[in-house]
Amino acid sequence: MSRRLIALALLVLIASACAPGPTATASRSALTVGLGYIPSVQFAQFYRAQQQGYYRDAGLDVTFKNEIDPNLITLVGQGAVDIGIADGTSVIPAVGQGIPIVYAATIYARFPNVVMTGADSAITNAADLAGHSVGIPGQYGSSWIMLQALLASAGLTPDDIEIRNYPEFGQGVALRVGEVDAATGFRNNEPVQLARDDYATQLLAIDEITPLPGPGLIVGKDLGAQDAVRAFVAATLRAMSEIIANPELGLEDSIAVVPDLATNRDQQLEVLKATVAIWQSPYTEANGLGAIDPLAWSQSVEFMRNLPDSNIPSTLSANDLVTEAFLP
Amino acid sequence: MSAAVRPVRGRFLRSTALPIVLAAVVFALVWKAVVVIGNFPTFILPPPEMVAGRLVDAWLAGTMTPHVIATLSEIGWGFLVGGSLGVLIGYLLARSPLAERLLSPYLVAAQATPILALAPLLVLWLGTGLAAKVVICALIVFFPVVIATIVGIRSVDGRLLELGRSLRATRWQVVRHLEFPAALPQILGGMRVGATLAVIGAIVGEWAGADRGLGYLINLSRSSLFDIPLMFATLVTIAAIGVLLYLAVVLVERALVGSWR
Repeated sequence: MSRRLIALALLVLIASACAPGPTATASRSALTVGLGYIPSVQFAQFYRAQQQGYYRDAGLDVTFKNEIDPNLITLVGQGAVDIGIADGTSVIPAVGQGIPIVYAATIYARFPNVVMTGADSAITNAADLAGHSVGIPGQYGSSWIMLQALLASAGLTPDDIEIRNYPEFGQGVALRVGEVDAATGFRNNEPVQLARDDYATQLLAIDEITPLPGPGLIVGKDLGAQDAVRAFVAATLRAMSEIIANPELGLEDSIAVVPDLATNRDQQLEVLKATVAIWQSPYTEANGLGAIDPLAWSQSVEFMRNLPDSNIPSTLSANDLVTEAFLP
Repeated sequence: MSAAVRPVRGRFLRSTALPIVLAAVVFALVWKAVVVIGNFPTFILPPPEMVAGRLVDAWLAGTMTPHVIATLSEIGWGFLVGGSLGVLIGYLLARSPLAERLLSPYLVAAQATPILALAPLLVLWLGTGLAAKVVICALIVFFPVVIATIVGIRSVDGRLLELGRSLRATRWQVVRHLEFPAALPQILGGMRVGATLAVIGAIVGEWAGADRGLGYLINLSRSSLFDIPLMFATLVTIAAIGVLLYLAVVLVERALVGSWR
């Protein structure tokens, strides 16, 4: 008897597992969206679109997944994640190595990585970095590419500066205590934290020199659900424009998704304001939020191709990397 | 070549080299079959011939050499420090109940703490240079060697020690001529395990922060270059280093144990 009961229970379990989900879900397009590794206020536009029902109203059932940038690129390439946020400077080598992804919308119109120095430092431009110590997290990724581009603009190479590695991202603190003369960081992170610690910084940015593409939305090249992606991009950009107008809205929706953010609201709002500032550039002001600048991509491909140990194929062009098909 | 050497070489080829080559061929065929049947793209699982080609290219282009040298130097120093301390502390623990009572809890606690959690701290304290990697390697090598030494020293036949004492051997002579040779098979067994663990220690250390080494190259090829065949080629190189180190300890074991027994 007990065996029959166990068998019956198993059947019920299997049947319930196989049963279709709620009809409301079934009628919507399911999208898995990969964000950065740690849920944070920097993803406020996605949280707002989710909380305010913009995705639902667009017929989407969106699930967020947190992963590191390189993993997201691979997951989107293999179709395990539908949409991801990834550095433009990662998209270039990834597509060059045959990963079938495409950059579909710009999120950070200005490159978020910068070189920071103290506000009273004599280092005020790239040429001034020669002979000085620069703290970096490691010789890889977007910070490293930005630093090389910045140095190249002044005819310098990394050999002309003293590189100090801070693998635990402690280079901002190293700058604060005078261990290094300059350090790489994210415009919407380290400078904000340092300012709260009464340490003002000046930033050396790359945008006006080599307009490297910042993080944006990527999708698989052979993704079937094109309408769903288009709807997702439109809903996200709507949330972005609302947060630009009033960052408090983004903070409230972020706290609704990540309650821990409420423990230091002021700091989170400062980070969000600094983030919002780099969502926009003269190009997106002229062409709309999310716009992709093909010329900037072409220049970046060319720059990265000429870096030491580059593996960017000579045939790779901006057309292989970006599409405007998903923009409103 | 003498007639006596030819049969020996033939036996070696049949009994040792042939099975190794056959195993490698079977492994590559299974790998290829998985790629074909699973229809995996290159960025998920590159086929073995592509990895082999990338491995050769990377060596010819000089990509591998500086990283291999860096990792080998970390392994070498880490193994030397961890192995030496393991033998010394192991002997002390085997022969001193007080030392065992005092130190054992700390040794077990240190071993139970994941090296992955400790590595970033060590890099923070010691910097991204050689020192942190040597300490990480030494920590990971230390435990199997210390345990093997304790077991080896405690298993020395009491009658041997009695004989040494009856011949008025000094403490050092007992250690040098009786205890150490008798415990050597176990100690070298611990070192065999330690040699392969040293490779893991070096890679973990490089993952925590480095600008050179095979662990760094894995990170670079996966996260920055998206060159997955290069990542696999690096893994193959790491595996080869592990096997060669293991074989080196086995050879030392055969030479030393053979000469002492």
